[in-house]
Order: sequence, then C-alpha cells, then structure tokens
Amino acid sequence: MTSYIEEFNRIEKPKDYYDNLFAQLEKLNEEYHAFNVINNKTNPGFLFSTKANICVKGFETDAGSKMLKGYVPSFNATAVERILSDKKFAFAGVTAMDEFGFGTFGTNTEVCARNAFDREYAAGGSSSGAAVAVALMKYQVSVAESTGGSIATPAALNGVVGFTPTYGAVSRYGLIDYANSLDKIGVMARSSDDARIVFDMMRGRDDYDTTCAVDKITAERRKKIFVINGMLEKADPSIKTAFEKLLNRLGSTYEITHVDSSIMEMAIAPYYIIAMAEASTNLAKYTGYKYGLMSEDFYKQYNEFFTDARENFGIEAKRRILLGTFIRSESVKDKYYTKALVIRGMLIREMDRMLKEGYILSPTLPIKAPRISDVKKLSPVESYSMDLFTIPPNLGGFPHISFPYDYVDGMPLGAQLVTGHGNDHAILDFVKEWEEGFEYKYKQNLGEL
Amino acid sequence: MQDKEFDRLLKITRLRVSDEERVQIKKDFEQVIAYFDELSSIEASGEPAYHPVEVPGRLREDTVRPFADTESLKKRSKTSNGYIVGPKL
Repeated sequence: MTSYIEEFNRIEKPKDYYDNLFAQLEKLNEEYHAFNVINNKTNPGFLFSTKANICVKGFETDAGSKMLKGYVPSFNATAVERILSDKKFAFAGVTAMDEFGFGTFGTNTEVCARNAFDREYAAGGSSSGAAVAVALMKYQVSVAESTGGSIATPAALNGVVGFTPTYGAVSRYGLIDYANSLDKIGVMARSSDDARIVFDMMRGRDDYDTTCAVDKITAERRKKIFVINGMLEKADPSIKTAFEKLLNRLGSTYEITHVDSSIMEMAIAPYYIIAMAEASTNLAKYTGYKYGLMSEDFYKQYNEFFTDARENFGIEAKRRILLGTFIRSESVKDKYYTKALVIRGMLIREMDRMLKEGYILSPTLPIKAPRISDVKKLSPVESYSMDLFTIPPNLGGFPHISFPYDYVDGMPLGAQLVTGHGNDHAILDFVKEWEEGFEYKYKQNLGEL
Repeated sequence: MQDKEFDRLLKITRLRVSDEERVQIKKDFEQVIAYFDELSSIEASGEPAYHPVEVPGRLREDTVRPFADTESLKKRSKTSNGYIVGPKL
C-alpha cells in the first residue's frame, strides 16, 4: 500500500481531468449524497473535502442543520488553512453529516449520505459524507471530526481508514462545536500514509485554540494487544467470529491479552451525559439571528422570536438540548454531570495504564452495516449503544484508528486500534504494516488515472 | 417526567415541540434518564476530568484585535442608522 497523495502527484494528468472528474462526481453524488457542496471550480491539486461543521471561507457550512442554512464563513478553520497553504492540495467541497454531529448512522439530517458499498445501507455517522467521499474517489482525503465515534464508525461502514487524533493535537478553531471537551478534527483516507500526511499538516499549536496543547507526537510501538472481554461479548456473533480471525492473524506478531474493564464497558452513559450537557450550551447561540438562518420578524417579542426560529432544530437536536439542560439542573447536576466527569477521570487512568503496555483493539462497531430502514426503527438508547467500542477512546481523548480488516456479505468490517495520548504515529505505523498484507476493496474508483 | 418539568425545560431552552414530538421526546427522555441512572452502580472516586488531556491556562495578550469582516456582518444584518436591528426586548 502506498500513499495515493504521492502517487497522484507523480502521475501526469490529462488536460480535461478535473472537468471529467467533477462531471462524474456530480452525477454519482445524486445517488450517494456524500457532498452538500461540490467545488467544481477548484484549482488543480490533490482533492480534500471538509465535513459540514468545519469552516471554509466562501462555502456554506451548515453542520447538517436547517438552523445554519445559508451560513457562509468569512474565514478558514486552522486545519483547512494549513492544508491550503500547500499548493499541491485543492478543496473539493463540503460533505454531509448528521445534524451538529448528533448521530451514529448519518440519518439525522434532511438528505442522508448512502453507504458506498450498497445504497440501501447506512453510511454511518456523524461524518457520513466524508467516509463515502473517500470510498467513491480514488484520489481524495476527507477532513472530518469525531466527538464519540464520528470518524471511526463511518470509516468502518464504508471500508476506509478513519484516524482520530489525540484530543488537542489539532486546533478546533473554525469547528462548529458539538461538545468542546470531546471534539477532535481528524482525517479519512484510503491509506494510513495519506492520513498521516494530512494529520501532520493540520496539527500543532494555534493561538486561536487554547486547548490545542498536544505538541509532541510519538511512534512508540507496542508488542501487546489488549482485548476487553465484556465488550466483545456484546458484539453480534458474526462480528465476534470475524474479529477472532483477525486476532489469530495478529497473534503471530503481537501478544494478545484478554482483560476485563468494567469502567470501559460502562462508558456510554457518562459520555452522553457530558456530550449532551456541553451540546445544550453550545446550541443556545442559534437563535435565527446571528448565524445561518436569519429571521427578520422583529415585530415579535424576544421569546417568541427565538422560540419560532429554534423550531428549525431536528428532533434529535431538540432531544439533546432538553436532556443536556435537564442534566445541568442544580438539583441533579452532581448526580449526573459531575459524576460523569469523575468517571471520565477514572476511565482515563485505567486506559492510560493499559496503553503504556499495549494497544487496545476491538471491532469498530458491534454490528454489521444496518439498512437505513432498520436504523430508523432504533430507539435513542439502542442507537447510543452502537457506540460501545468507539466511546472509551473518545471520552478519554485517546488517538484511535479504524481500518478495514474483512468483508462479510459484500460489506466491509472495521477494527479499531487505540493508543496512549500523543502516540498517534504508532497506530498509523500499525495500520501501514497491516496494509502490506491486506488489500482494501472499493466499488468505485472515481478519478482513477 | 411531569408535564410541569417538561414545560419548564421547553421554556428555558426556547424550544417548541409538536404534540407528536412531545409524546415521543418525553418517552425517550424517560428511557435515556433510566439508562443514565445506571451510573449509580459505579463507585466513583477522584477529581472530575473537565478535559481529557492537561490543558495549560494559556492566555493571549490583552490587546484589541479589530474585527476584520464588518462588511459581511452589515450585509447579513438588517441595519438602521448604523445599528444592527434585533427583536424587541
């Protein structure tokens, strides 16, 4: 496996390459809805896209919400600015997502992206379009964002590499916040090398984000792999069988150790408590006045004006605002919010101990790709429980990577590898080794040369 | 959850829900809170982790930085005599 970025830069392109590529992309996008905006007038270069919650000057950035329809930023996010400073890269467009990042399957938005392997199946979320774009286009990387699994999940369901860096390694300036203490900008690509190239361009301190504090990135290889028993038990039998085959294969190189961790198994509730509490405060600023949707019904009274405008939130956003506000109520704050923060501290200490010795490996999702029609039948609690494996590293801010490791019934399966804070390059190295003995499959190779 | 408490939350969040959404969200609310209540079985100890990694208190110099894009702000807003118009207080 090589770097598609380097390969693309080496090959001579025909004169009409971009015209043809964008014409085909626009057609394909009608079927898959990966992009909200296609920048068909871009400069020549290796194409990159951004999730619809990362600001790009002059392009509508609506975070998948009707509340932000028409919001066109007048500045670039730091991550985007740093990529664009390399003239070998060119901006391809804005990708679809669940409203404000609220979703596991990419279905919580007006027009949802479709799985690149089968359009009847969920693309995964919340960075749904970002993953589909990588799976459709041979020479394209997607800048995405994860709060509780929004990079790993869609990457797994579309058979691409999804890399989520350590919290604070990449500046969040220009990211439309979901939950400030959990949000991380990362990258999806067709190879670990490409994910590394883009990550290294985006990372590093930024005066505009005081939480961007992780400077030192290492590549300390581990010889041990931990598997969390109780979590694997909760996976679908078909996932367990495939994952055990992966462990057998890795067993010749790594020492596989099965352990228990009740705190990791219980991470979903504290994660959602913190995420909803932070989201409910972040979404208070959307009032039909300052950003996006603009109401000019100034004859209305203050409360009526804002309440009318906020009807544009989707049902999942309303649910999370209400739950997050309830959790922060004085009478229950210690019971839920403060306790969740204490549990996060415990989880970080426990995972940190393990990750000093080895990696943690799991399936990325406990189920195979679901049909979109089945996702719509899930209750919120059932849907949140699908984040079983992706939540612990996200809650603890640990870098993790989802990579394709098998194909069952024609659909890809992803495995998730976690390492300690700042050891991001080690998991990229691990996947690079994996790619030397495993060929990823794609159904589309748009832009192939 | 009592209707009174639900209405209080709607009021402070400036949200309005349809009758159908009300039934659905109230039902979901109870299930999600019951799920969160499982936390009571965990013996929690230690300090709350407000951030996953240590975030040093870095502050920028306290100097004025002019907002560079007043033109697009004016273009987007309804103005009157140089002021931006908003809803009645």
